[in-house]
Amino acid sequence: MIGGISAMPLEPEVISRDGNAMVLSMGPQHPSTHGVLQIMLEIEGETVTKAEPEIGYLHTGIEKSAENLFWTQAQTVIERMDYLAPESNSLCYCLAVEKLLGLTDAIPRRAQQIRVLVAELTRIASHCVWLGTHGIDLGALSIFFYCFDLRENILDLQEAAGGARMHPNYVRIGGLNGDLPDGFLPKLDALIEKLPGRMRELRALLQKNPIFQDRTIDVGIVTPQEAIDWSLTGPNLRASGIAYDVRKAFPYTGYEQYQFEVPTRAEGDAYARFLVRLDEIDQSLRIVEQVRAALVAGPVMLDDAKVAPPPKETIAISMEALIHHFKIVSEGFRVPPGDVYQPVESPRGELAYYVVSDGNNKPYRVRTRPPSLYNLQALKGMAPGNLIADLVVMIGSLDPVFGEVDR
Amino acid sequence: MPSPQMPPLATSAIDPTAVRPPIDDAIIERTAPARVRARLEALKEEGFALLLDVGAADYPNRKPRFDVVYHLLKLSPAAASVAQIGSPQRYRLLCGVPEDDATVPTVSDLWKSADWAEREIFDLFGIQFSGHPDLRRIQMPVHWEGYPLRKDYPLRGPAREKAPRPDFALKSNIVSGTPPTGKTAQALAEQVMQARKEHGDGA
Repeated sequence: MIGGISAMPLEPEVISRDGNAMVLSMGPQHPSTHGVLQIMLEIEGETVTKAEPEIGYLHTGIEKSAENLFWTQAQTVIERMDYLAPESNSLCYCLAVEKLLGLTDAIPRRAQQIRVLVAELTRIASHCVWLGTHGIDLGALSIFFYCFDLRENILDLQEAAGGARMHPNYVRIGGLNGDLPDGFLPKLDALIEKLPGRMRELRALLQKNPIFQDRTIDVGIVTPQEAIDWSLTGPNLRASGIAYDVRKAFPYTGYEQYQFEVPTRAEGDAYARFLVRLDEIDQSLRIVEQVRAALVAGPVMLDDAKVAPPPKETIAISMEALIHHFKIVSEGFRVPPGDVYQPVESPRGELAYYVVSDGNNKPYRVRTRPPSLYNLQALKGMAPGNLIADLVVMIGSLDPVFGEVDR
Repeated sequence: MPSPQMPPLATSAIDPTAVRPPIDDAIIERTAPARVRARLEALKEEGFALLLDVGAADYPNRKPRFDVVYHLLKLSPAAASVAQIGSPQRYRLLCGVPEDDATVPTVSDLWKSADWAEREIFDLFGIQFSGHPDLRRIQMPVHWEGYPLRKDYPLRGPAREKAPRPDFALKSNIVSGTPPTGKTAQALAEQVMQARKEHGDGA
């Protein structure tokens, strides 16, 4: 004992030895695993022979919590699943509940447009975080600051609209929490003007960088057949050459009105996934510009006091509004029984909620289709035969968010 | 768990999936554990190549008690453009699983992605998947007891549910009589002035 601390030698992370093979636990403290992923690796020298990701370090029982909250309250925990793209989660959940309520066609046009706007902005912000951290994983530190500076502009807009940077809870069942505040659109215009230049900078930093190319080209190749076997969706699927995008295949909240392309790549390696995401930011910007130009005036919330709380200013002057407000806040509203599967295209792929209502004022079951979980699972197929250093590239290029993997 | 403030509806649906016609664009089919594997094999042959998700739900008052829900998408690996994909067909296969024999054959050999999805259902609902190569808990700790997403599993966990919630109001400074420790800015400024005087600091 030295100074009260045991002087036992540190236990090495070796669990078993078998000839040249070795089992190594990578993470959850390894920087590239972002603190919450453990991978049990079987290695021979530097080559991975088997990789088994262990998840659950961030399991917070969100689906269970949601079953015990009112329909509107459940949204606050659901938004915390994919904390890099909160608007995708809340939009998907609201669309599902609106389908159960039979209100899909009753959502005001302005609310739908702003929903598309925030969903695309959150996609850009999410891809910025991915690009910055992916760069750091590969030793490219500068890009992180460029990306987070850009993301900060979008978080400012989120904060202006919803009141919070990370979890604005802006999209609500029946529409939006409130209209865009004064000063939002000028800030948005400034962002739209600034973004193409910023994208050129980001591309200049990494796209032709020989070290980055060496680390990512031909690393973690996923063939189209493998992509389907592992249920990949989103940019990971499209980098393998399959142009499946929920926004095009099953348009929701008015995506069919906007012109955009679905970037795909045939190579299926980490570099292809990098390029697809960069192209997606450009396409998202195109949608944002179109929404900005087409924005109509009008209400942003459904005019149905049984579902949507009446405007705050009416509560002081109308007894009926006060009663509706009290009823919605104190006991919520009831949703007709039924089940529905509602997908949206989140930055990580097909995010969907399978929502069941038994006719009560709380969701009976909210099953998430977490794109990150399925994307991360593909690591089991990608890793064998590659170097440990390449594993870091593969994790980064799959873009998992563990709030969503573990829920 | 219904809250004490709001009793559940007397007419609450025992099987919400059966009360009204489908409102989404999927083909919906019900099946039983004995036939589910054959159905999924046939669907995969038909072109439903992408297993989007395997989920589950618990209906304690219904027989069979559980539903294992397969979501499929008709997608071909050769579909390289948006036009080729169009609007692919969705398929939802609900498999009722009885409580006394909660076992479903695995499909993790048909779709690699079913592996973790089935582990999660085993972990949170306690439904066994026969033939699964590595059926162990995935989200909860390995030695956890009980299946958290079952409806009869208490929200705050079995150990803590018996104890009442801590009464935070009783812990406040005012109630317990603890004097407030914070100082106002003015009091601090006065204290600094006093100290300077005592030390004869002319500044």
